[in-house]
This record gives sequence, C-alpha cells and structure tokens, in this order.
Amino acid sequence: MTAGHHPTEPSPIERRVAALESLLVERGLITSDVVDAVVETYEHDVGPLNGARVVARAWVDDDYRARLLSDGTRAIGELGYGGAEGEHLVVLENTPAVHNLVVCTLCSCYPWPVLGLPPSWYKSFAYRARAVREPRAVMAEFGTVVPDEVEVRVWDSSAEVRYMVLPQRPPGTDGLDEEALAALVTRDHMIGVVQ
Amino acid sequence: MGGMHGFGRVEPEADEPVFHAPWEGRTFGLMVATAARGLRAGSIRPAIEVIDPATYLASSYYERWARAVEAQVVDGGSLTHEEIDERAATGGATPVRSEAIDPDLVVAVPGFLDAPQEPSGEAVPARFAVGDRVTVARMAPAGHHRCPRYVRGVTGEVARVPGGWPPPGEEGDPEATYTVRFAMRDLWGDDAEPGSLFIDLWERYLS
Repeated sequence: MTAGHHPTEPSPIERRVAALESLLVERGLITSDVVDAVVETYEHDVGPLNGARVVARAWVDDDYRARLLSDGTRAIGELGYGGAEGEHLVVLENTPAVHNLVVCTLCSCYPWPVLGLPPSWYKSFAYRARAVREPRAVMAEFGTVVPDEVEVRVWDSSAEVRYMVLPQRPPGTDGLDEEALAALVTRDHMIGVVQ
Repeated sequence: MGGMHGFGRVEPEADEPVFHAPWEGRTFGLMVATAARGLRAGSIRPAIEVIDPATYLASSYYERWARAVEAQVVDGGSLTHEEIDERAATGGATPVRSEAIDPDLVVAVPGFLDAPQEPSGEAVPARFAVGDRVTVARMAPAGHHRCPRYVRGVTGEVARVPGGWPPPGEEGDPEATYTVRFAMRDLWGDDAEPGSLFIDLWERYLS
C-alpha cells in the first residue's frame, strides 16, 4: 500500500530518515514512543471530524455561532479542540453573498486542531500558486461553481492566524441533529474548495 | 509561489491517508520530538526556505521537511551530516527502536498538539487601524520572512488587527500584524477574477 516502500530496496529518503531517527535513538536523545505518539495523534485523534463538530454546533446554536465568529480559538476550545497550529483561529462565515477560500502560498499553514494535517493537494505547487490568482478556476476543478454575484474572498495564511471556513447550512436539514449535521461537513467545505 | 503559472491542475487524491508511507510519519514525528527535546530551535520554515530552488521543486513535501529537520538537528550540534550519510548508506528503512521510554514527554507532546489554550497574539501598539489604506513595501529580503512577492508594492485596506507576534526569524518583542484586504484586480490586473484577497502581514512590511 505504500508506494516506493520495498523491503529489499528502500528509497534514499526512507534510509535517510531512518538513519536520522536511529542515531538520535541510539544516543538517547529521543525515544521512539514520543515519535509514535505524534504520528498516532494525527492518524487517529485529530482530523476534520473535529472541525465538522464545530460547524454542526454553530448551525444549531446561534449563541455559539456568534462566539465562534468573534473569538474562534476560545469557541473551538469549548468543544475541547486546540493546540499546535491552532493557537489563534479565525472562522470565516460563508453567506449567500460571500464565499471564503483558504490557502497558504508560502508553504502549508493549516488549522491542525480542527482539520488535522493538510492533504497533499493543499500543499501542492498548483494550489499554492493558483488559489490566490484564479480561485474560481481552482474551485471549478473541485466541481464548485460560485455564482457571479457572490464575492469570493481568498485568505492567504501567511503569519500566525489559522483560518477555517464555516460553510452555509444546506437546505432541507432542519430535522437533523448535531451528529447527523456533522456527518455532512467535509474537510473541503472547511477549506472552501467546495460549497 | 502565489501567482506562478505552469503547475497544472490541482489534483485531489481519493481517500488520502494522513501519511503515505511510514517514513513521512516518522519525519513529522521527528520534527515535533526534536523540538520537544531542545535538539533544534524554532520553526522549520527557515530551513525549508534555504533549500535551493531546483532541489525544492524536485522534492516531495516530506522530503523537504526531512531535509530541514536534519539541517536544524545538525545546527544544534547533536549529529553531523557525515554520520547520517554513513548510516543512510549502510542502514535499512526501519529505524532502530529505543528500549527507553519517556513517560512524561509521551503525555506532554500530545497535550501540546491536542488541547485548548488561550489564544496567542499580544495586545501591542499598532500604527494602523481597520479601514486604513496601507502599501506593502517593495523589497527583496534574502532571509526568512513572511511577505509573499505577489503583494509587494500593492495597496490594500486593513480589515482586521489580530494581534502581535515576534516577527519571522526574530525572537523577542511582538510586533503588530494586520489582515490586509486587496482587490484582486490590484494584484493581478484588469483580467483578474473579481473578488478579494486577505493576507496577514507584519507592520514592518507596510507603510
């Protein structure tokens, strides 16, 4: 399942990273369990379901929504989420008049506590180059056509703030509870490449 | 990279895993673990940015991270590139595992990654206020900075004042940052898509 991972012939980068870790471990400078814990945190505990729960809460609770839009970090903290790359979170509200899209042209800044680690396409040269210059063309490649009368706002996370989009609640979801609403929200909604 | 041409379409991957191979996860884990143990200091961004452009463009994302983590650990004095070369030439793809464990750090590290904190950002004096027109400096800095080329020389409007943080590449006193809003046509010309671009910039980049 892992491209380039052959038991008989490891790639140069696999050998180099293994060499770095092995030497640090052998000298007692780090322990394997700490590296394991970091990997497991993002493989199992922290991912876009956190952000989806934030969105669902905002859809059902107007007071929460107001707190979320005025102080994202604290409101997201109310649900137990926060930490590295979420030290100052700003939530961008999509409305019938405004659609928001998040990018990091310099590298890969991303709100880890609510979305996990970014997908490869978010870190790709194509997305970094194009999202700020032709956001509608990029969104169209995700099947998203934003009506002409809607203002597209692109947010380049270049400093310390990390951004997350609050999508509009889909029509016809009045009867759904918070958990069912959260299941409708994807990572791509919260980056803004889909509506 | 903002605005460049020629990279083609954005290609999402169906059911993408968090890490595509074990070495990517180990690279990420080493980035955090080496910082937690004080073996390297600060953000890895400066070490990524000094990778020569041809190598940068030819490397995968986690290859760039691995190179940067190695460079900073070597800078920190714990290892040398030569001994890593030597081990990489003779060792395999599976890292040696420690028998030792670190019961405090193994709890502290996930806590740092995954627990609410007070919002960062200091209340600092700010020269500009929401609504002010500001122009990004024309400049060509060689070292680490956070001011993309595509906004330099362009005038926009302060939309938010999120707080102050130490400027990139500097420890020490926080400096005000601003979320500046630009009209797309001011960045890209008359053929630009309509809409706005918001970007966070330190005060030193603005006048």
